[in-house]
Amino acid sequence: MSRSSSRPNRSLWSQTGPTPRLLFGAFAIAAIGLLGLTPREFFGFSIAWPYAALWGAVGWGRVGLSVRPMILLIIFGLVQDVTFHAPIGCFVILNLLAYGASAAIADMFDVMNEPLIAILSPILLFSGAFLLLWLMASTLEDHAVRVLPLVASLMTTGLVYAVLNKVFDLGRLPGESVGQAS
Amino acid sequence: MARLGRSATKSQKRSPKRLILGVFIFAAAALVLAQSAPQIRSMFNPVRTTVGDQFGGNEGMNVWAWVTGQAKRERRIKELEAEVRNLSRYKAAAISMAERLEAYEEILNLMGEPPARGVTARVTAENDGPFAQTILANAGRAQGVEPGAVALNEGGLVGRVIQLGEYSSRILLITDFNSRVPVMGEVSGVRAILYGGRDGLGSLTDLPERDAFVEGERILTSAEGGAFPRGLVVGEVRKSGDDWRVKFSMAERDGGYVQMIPPPEIVKPMALPVEEVEPAASPTQGARQ
Repeated sequence: MSRSSSRPNRSLWSQTGPTPRLLFGAFAIAAIGLLGLTPREFFGFSIAWPYAALWGAVGWGRVGLSVRPMILLIIFGLVQDVTFHAPIGCFVILNLLAYGASAAIADMFDVMNEPLIAILSPILLFSGAFLLLWLMASTLEDHAVRVLPLVASLMTTGLVYAVLNKVFDLGRLPGESVGQAS
Repeated sequence: MARLGRSATKSQKRSPKRLILGVFIFAAAALVLAQSAPQIRSMFNPVRTTVGDQFGGNEGMNVWAWVTGQAKRERRIKELEAEVRNLSRYKAAAISMAERLEAYEEILNLMGEPPARGVTARVTAENDGPFAQTILANAGRAQGVEPGAVALNEGGLVGRVIQLGEYSSRILLITDFNSRVPVMGEVSGVRAILYGGRDGLGSLTDLPERDAFVEGERILTSAEGGAFPRGLVVGEVRKSGDDWRVKFSMAERDGGYVQMIPPPEIVKPMALPVEEVEPAASPTQGARQ
């Protein structure tokens, strides 16, 4: 039996490099974000739509810092600022801080292999991001904004990320070769 | 568990990226702070309206239509439709004025103003984010929507146009905390100012001390301030503890469409010509001459 045949079949996604993964993740964020702009009522129930850009911020940050994800997060942040009618720059700060925090956690702990850290770090990052969003919105709008829609969006963002987190896993830094990855 | 003790070369390599991230965050924060000045904030309005047009206005935008020139033809058709719509408004106004003139001649009495025609548009985007509660409708300046137009749905008053693009309008909902609508009770006639509450119900402020609303009565716009026409249905009033709260009627019958009617036009009163009174001649005036 040859050596190659004894190996388990690698999935197409595992063979994909960081740049196509980054583009695919960005496409997913854009598609889900655009879908979220449409009226979302089913049988009288309003659906709390997830903040898709945060998936990218948390997922892409797990392999460390890189300029390309930062630029994508800035673009997504600007679009979110316009669609949410927020002061320009609010969601940019949110996305970049979540990205930086995700990278910092990944720098300190082994987020890929430690199950507890792998579960706790996104929960912590999403909660922190939504808390920051609430603080920014309350400060800039001059009143304490509603918490319930944000908590509902936090839940959907976290739950969907639990299912789709592989889509936002770059594997290694964009531009980094296979052997260089930490 | 911990992955501490990384090589010094790695951290040195990462430091420029950290610096870049820091610069980006700092720049964004500076941008947010700068927008506390309304002049700077208004600089971004063209960007917002352009993006709004893209999200809310262009329904059939695709590459094929652009290549074949169909998009250009459709744009022209939309322009012509808007012009026809505009002209039909003038026609309606002319018919109405003729009828009024006839009525004046016959009975010498004043007739009421005809109801203004509005533009009906589909709600193409809405968000329940923490910032201003707004919706985006797919009709703008090209369709005859005016700045400050009043938006209604089957239930009643929805809000007011705060940003107007060529093919889209952003409407600030009356459920928003920052919206202020002068209202009155249909039965009691009590006046108040309505603003959005955090629990989905409206709150009332500036109520008179002595008078009170009647439980369950309808709340209508009072037209004070001139931003909204008089008599639009807003909701029903309820007593909640010591406060009066308003259940919005627009939320009950939300069919995904809004009608945008022009805001009431308050004609500026004409200034009367002031007759200049010549000063009386003093006794010394003649002596000097």
